[in-house]
Amino acid sequence: MSNEGTGTKTAPGSGKVLGLFALAMINVAAVLSIRNFPSMAIYGWSCIGWYVLGAILFLIPISLAGAELATGWPEGGGVYAWVKQAFGEKGGFVALFCEWSNNLVWFPTVLSFIASTLAFALTPALASNPFYMISVMMVAFWGTTAIAYFGEETSSKFSNIGVILGSIIPAVLIIFLGIWWIGSGQTLVLPPFSLGAMVPVIDLSTLPFFATIILLFAGMEMAGFHALETRNPQKDFPNAMALSAIIILVCTVLATLAIAVVIPSNQLSLASGVMQAIQYFFDAAGIAWLVGPMALLITLGGVVNLASWLIGPAKGLGIVAEEGNMPPLFDRTNKYGAPVAVLVIQALIGSAISLLYVFLPSVNQAYWILSAMTVELLCIVYLLVFAALIKLRYSQPDKPRPFKIPGGIAGVWVVGGIGLFGTALAFVVGLMPPSFFATNWLAYVLSVLLGTFLLAVPPFIFLKYKNSRWLKTAGRTG
Amino acid sequence: MMTSVKSGKQEKGGSSNRHFWLDIGLVVFLVVIFLIPFALIIAVSGPEPYHIVAGNPVKNAAQAVGITINSENDTQWNVPGAMGGKRFVLSDSQGNIVTIETQAFDSAESRDAMINTYNSNKIGKGKPVGDLIIVGQHLIYITPANNPLIKEISQELKKYRSI
Repeated sequence: MSNEGTGTKTAPGSGKVLGLFALAMINVAAVLSIRNFPSMAIYGWSCIGWYVLGAILFLIPISLAGAELATGWPEGGGVYAWVKQAFGEKGGFVALFCEWSNNLVWFPTVLSFIASTLAFALTPALASNPFYMISVMMVAFWGTTAIAYFGEETSSKFSNIGVILGSIIPAVLIIFLGIWWIGSGQTLVLPPFSLGAMVPVIDLSTLPFFATIILLFAGMEMAGFHALETRNPQKDFPNAMALSAIIILVCTVLATLAIAVVIPSNQLSLASGVMQAIQYFFDAAGIAWLVGPMALLITLGGVVNLASWLIGPAKGLGIVAEEGNMPPLFDRTNKYGAPVAVLVIQALIGSAISLLYVFLPSVNQAYWILSAMTVELLCIVYLLVFAALIKLRYSQPDKPRPFKIPGGIAGVWVVGGIGLFGTALAFVVGLMPPSFFATNWLAYVLSVLLGTFLLAVPPFIFLKYKNSRWLKTAGRTG
Repeated sequence: MMTSVKSGKQEKGGSSNRHFWLDIGLVVFLVVIFLIPFALIIAVSGPEPYHIVAGNPVKNAAQAVGITINSENDTQWNVPGAMGGKRFVLSDSQGNIVTIETQAFDSAESRDAMINTYNSNKIGKGKPVGDLIIVGQHLIYITPANNPLIKEISQELKKYRSI
């Protein structure tokens, strides 16, 4: 990236500020979310089976793949750098762009979550006011963008503190409440545990849920975007991957079970939100006064989750622009090394989509299609990452990789193959329409595929118009 | 000589101008490419206006197509503006069983706020659990979203959707 006024290369102004803990927290911030717990608790003991499936088919493969690729190619750009090594510029750009563009579809939903959770701490009725909603959403969105403006050190501090306060502490609190609930002899709403109860029911009606479970752990590659600011990437990346995977898995499984043993499933199935479940939980535990503070913490967790996805792929896009694959406008960085132009363009598009989301909510089926597009775009990213993992073992076998997936080429095929299988299956079942769409399922599938195509195709257009003037060596200083 | 220098400068200026507009065009393209899917999908889906539907649409639809109502209980969602509804367990002759909840809302604002809440309750970066259908003042929550039984009543439910 060019630095304003200096033209210096690579992450100017930010320095090597990230260590093991900060890297792990970037991943935890991207993946661990309290809002998943009540939705998964509906499944009772079988949520364990669903989580195990998600871990085997995605979490473990992506963690291992990310560790190997990040230590082998610790350049900036994360998935862009990795996929580019295997499939060239076009492949890398597509992977990164899909990661960036799916965010723009997803941002309004996480912003709405932040605003409605904050409303719960203030006055729940505020959530019915679209002007309150859009105001809070815009403050959260542009505020997070402003944090990203101040570079890696500031956003890393925010992420570290925010993820502990907003994600880990609430999860641990829920776990301890669950343990206290069981220990104090209160009524457990789940039937007695058995191995059979852990097995999820997988049939035609639950198959689409599979795509959701796979992408429950999406974001484990997020630390890779921060390679340029990492003090010791070869050593820290694998450890950060392991640490974040353990924190995410332990918090997710135990907190979900804690909710499942306390709240009857008919109370959870209301679709009415995380805070309603938390309120039921805390009322039952006799600590209703803690609902408000908990809402504030979960709001912070939502902001940190947003920040993680907002900053990482934007940094990657900055690297793509730095390499001359996008017009110079996208290659603007500030003195803190933040890709300001990408951040501003991202915030403008995200704001426009958020306005539609808040003021046109009754096109609910449209949002279902947009959610499906998010799933498909993410699947494209991970398909390319797993394929790159396998291909690079053949095309660059001698490249030093401080962390190598054990088992040689067979080990890579097993890990990459499982990841490819899980992601491909998620892509296919992600196209299945809900039954309400069944009468015109073809229109549904075509809409999802067309939307996915439109949001994945810009790299080809940019590369078509790529010219020498876009390269930094053309004398630009940004 | 002067003319050729001038024309060279003009050419350079023209080329730089072209590049400038190309860059701007690509930025506009990027913004538009994001808005196209939204506009198209929203235009095709069409908003569902708030209007009063008499009776319970799920019960009416189930009875119309011969679906068995195994149980029917009152339910109250803990969200502002929710006026209560029913939880049905339905089954068909193929052995499909599904739980459906309905909830009436007192205004378009409270109903729409609930829709936003539902859509923001995605699991990870995937989809929310189940499906939420809008029928007038009612929200109908179905889980799992792909139960074949829903196909059987969807046509009937759609009859209540437009005023």
